[in-house]
Amino acid sequence: MRASAIPTKTVRRRPLKGRWRRYVAGYVLIAPALLAAGLFLFVPIVLSGYWSLTEYSGLGEPEWVGLTNYIELFGNDLFLKALLNTFLFVLIGMGIGPVLGFLSALLLNSTVRFRGFFRAAYFVPVMTSLVVVATIWKILLQQQGVINQALSFFGLPGHAWLSDPSTALPAVVATSIWQGFGFETVVFLAALQGIPRELYDAARVDGASYWQQVRHITLPAMRPTIMFVYIIGIIGSFQVYDQVFVMTEGGPINSTRTLVFDLVDRFQQLELGEASAVAYVLLAILAFLSYVQIFVFERERG
Amino acid sequence: MRFSVRWFVVIASLALVATSCTGDEEGNGGTTSPGASPEPVTITVVDYYGEATPISEEVIAAFEGEYPWITVKYEAGDWDSMREKFTVRVTSGDSPDVATMDMTWIPTFASEAIFADLSELSGGELNGAPITDEYSEGAVEAMTFDDHYVTMMFDFDAYALYYRADQFEDKGIDVPTNWDELSAAAEQLAEDTNGDGKNDKYMFEVYGNDCFHWCQFLFQAGGSILNEEHTAAAFDSEAGLTALEYHKSFLDNGSGVYWGDAEGEPIRGIKDERIGMFLDGPYYMGLLKDGAPDQSGMWKVAPAPYSVEPGSYLGGTGLSIPVNAPNPEEAWLFVQYMLRLEQQIGVYTLAGAAPATEAALGSPELTQEEEYFGGQAPFPIFADTMAIATHFPYVEQWDPIDTIIGTMVESVMLGESAPQEALTDAAAKVNEELAG
Repeated sequence: MRASAIPTKTVRRRPLKGRWRRYVAGYVLIAPALLAAGLFLFVPIVLSGYWSLTEYSGLGEPEWVGLTNYIELFGNDLFLKALLNTFLFVLIGMGIGPVLGFLSALLLNSTVRFRGFFRAAYFVPVMTSLVVVATIWKILLQQQGVINQALSFFGLPGHAWLSDPSTALPAVVATSIWQGFGFETVVFLAALQGIPRELYDAARVDGASYWQQVRHITLPAMRPTIMFVYIIGIIGSFQVYDQVFVMTEGGPINSTRTLVFDLVDRFQQLELGEASAVAYVLLAILAFLSYVQIFVFERERG
Repeated sequence: MRFSVRWFVVIASLALVATSCTGDEEGNGGTTSPGASPEPVTITVVDYYGEATPISEEVIAAFEGEYPWITVKYEAGDWDSMREKFTVRVTSGDSPDVATMDMTWIPTFASEAIFADLSELSGGELNGAPITDEYSEGAVEAMTFDDHYVTMMFDFDAYALYYRADQFEDKGIDVPTNWDELSAAAEQLAEDTNGDGKNDKYMFEVYGNDCFHWCQFLFQAGGSILNEEHTAAAFDSEAGLTALEYHKSFLDNGSGVYWGDAEGEPIRGIKDERIGMFLDGPYYMGLLKDGAPDQSGMWKVAPAPYSVEPGSYLGGTGLSIPVNAPNPEEAWLFVQYMLRLEQQIGVYTLAGAAPATEAALGSPELTQEEEYFGGQAPFPIFADTMAIATHFPYVEQWDPIDTIIGTMVESVMLGESAPQEALTDAAAKVNEELAG
């Protein structure tokens, strides 16, 4: 066989030792982060999963009980109340918050005066500690707080917002929406500003109204951002704790008791097995909802 | 050899990780062997008194002077987070040596054998005297779980009546001694200052969502929370119904103001004079002085009025040593030191709380007249109350039972449930808990 006339360049592979030397520095640099993630994230997740299948107070050895904790949870009134309250919190919060964020983003994306001021004003609550926000709103909502005084000024009766089981949860939700919709505003605003202007120009030429442009251009273009906001928002909302602890401590009559509050309460009662079971129920709910959202989004896109 | 920047970063990172992993190298775990020079030890003491702690720097310095081989590492906590932090530390093996415990936490922790056996550590003696001589019978019972001491009471809490004496005098109201007189006094005391038909000043505080405030009415009506064997609820009795209806009556007739978690600390209602009368413990003497100094001379204290017999819950703070404390013997020395008369008087003078030992209860420093209370000596009233106070049942299910009772009281006070229905429902839940 004749050798080819075209000379071929032989690629010489680096010796194994050289390749290893090239990568070891990278592994060493990421090792601390991997170690921290392992110690403070993966190990606790696995341990907690094990504890959820045991009766364990934190002292002595865990006693294997299988799925007993999970079965007892779903027969426990307090847990079921916490589950219901959490779903209501998420439903109301995520039903209103992102909509408010989207509308304010639309406003800020238009030619409105003092846009920079409004942008900062909407975002300041987001930067403020949730505990501080909850404390301030607790004072505002008290029987002799500013809200009732304002109502009284207009001749309207005041209300025990946080002491009434029918208004306590909506009051906590309202506080959370007030604190958080600035984040959604900023995210939506960034997405809006990424939509090409030419699409709107073309739509205007075709005679589309403002809301038609929003419906047929803005919303479809922002779909990935909307999905991101809802996934992150729902995950965060399901873990509500700070504002409940500060404003109502789960009351009145457990009307604001949430899943994480229930988890912490069980932990304080040295029921680590049950507390871990609550954590895993929460994990399962979030995983399922995230999967459903991504599935729906992918189906619509495809 | 060519030195690369990459390798410099790698080495620097390794050095950083190595130094951050260095643990506490304080010498610890020394024990005092009989007959040998004590090895230096450091004991960790955690309390929740905050700024006004009786475990002051001076007290610690004096203790270290008396026990030169012991160094005290003091950690200031707060009541709100103490329980959680203590739980984490004990379950993770990082126990302090001494910790202040709210007496209502004792059932939960003691049932999990978290506390060291103080009967064994003490040999039955406190500062050279039998423990039973140092405390009242009720206190001794409160410190005992499963036939051994699990804590030493440091301060106590039992309820008496605080009232606006200036308003009582202006309105010609006599100090009440029974429930009927209390109701009448509350109605006379409360005022409608803005003409809307509802009282808004000097009302009786109805603390609506816990067992502390309602259970005293239960005891005063001759009732109890659980039966003697602690196997079933006993509060769903005639006495329980009477107590619940009586507690609610202040709200029904407008002479009371509902106070729950949403309202914040009751001192706010005292400062703006919505509250003119309330039942609470001796620690409130200090809170009044700090929180409402402009009301000095306007308040006085009286024994809590009752229906069938005097009654109050018995709570307070205990000094406990965790079962896995690194230095239990030295911790016991510290506990004893804090229970000497001088330090017990400091519980009152520094923290405004009520010391728990018999010697302190009768000391002249605690029986002085106080300007804030219009020249009255209020402390002896609380000391007398301690003698008739009852601690909550020591069952491992106390936490959920406490929550069930608190929710029951709240639902009745807020008008969500009728008293009998709420009692029956709560008793069923408590029985379920006790049955395991």
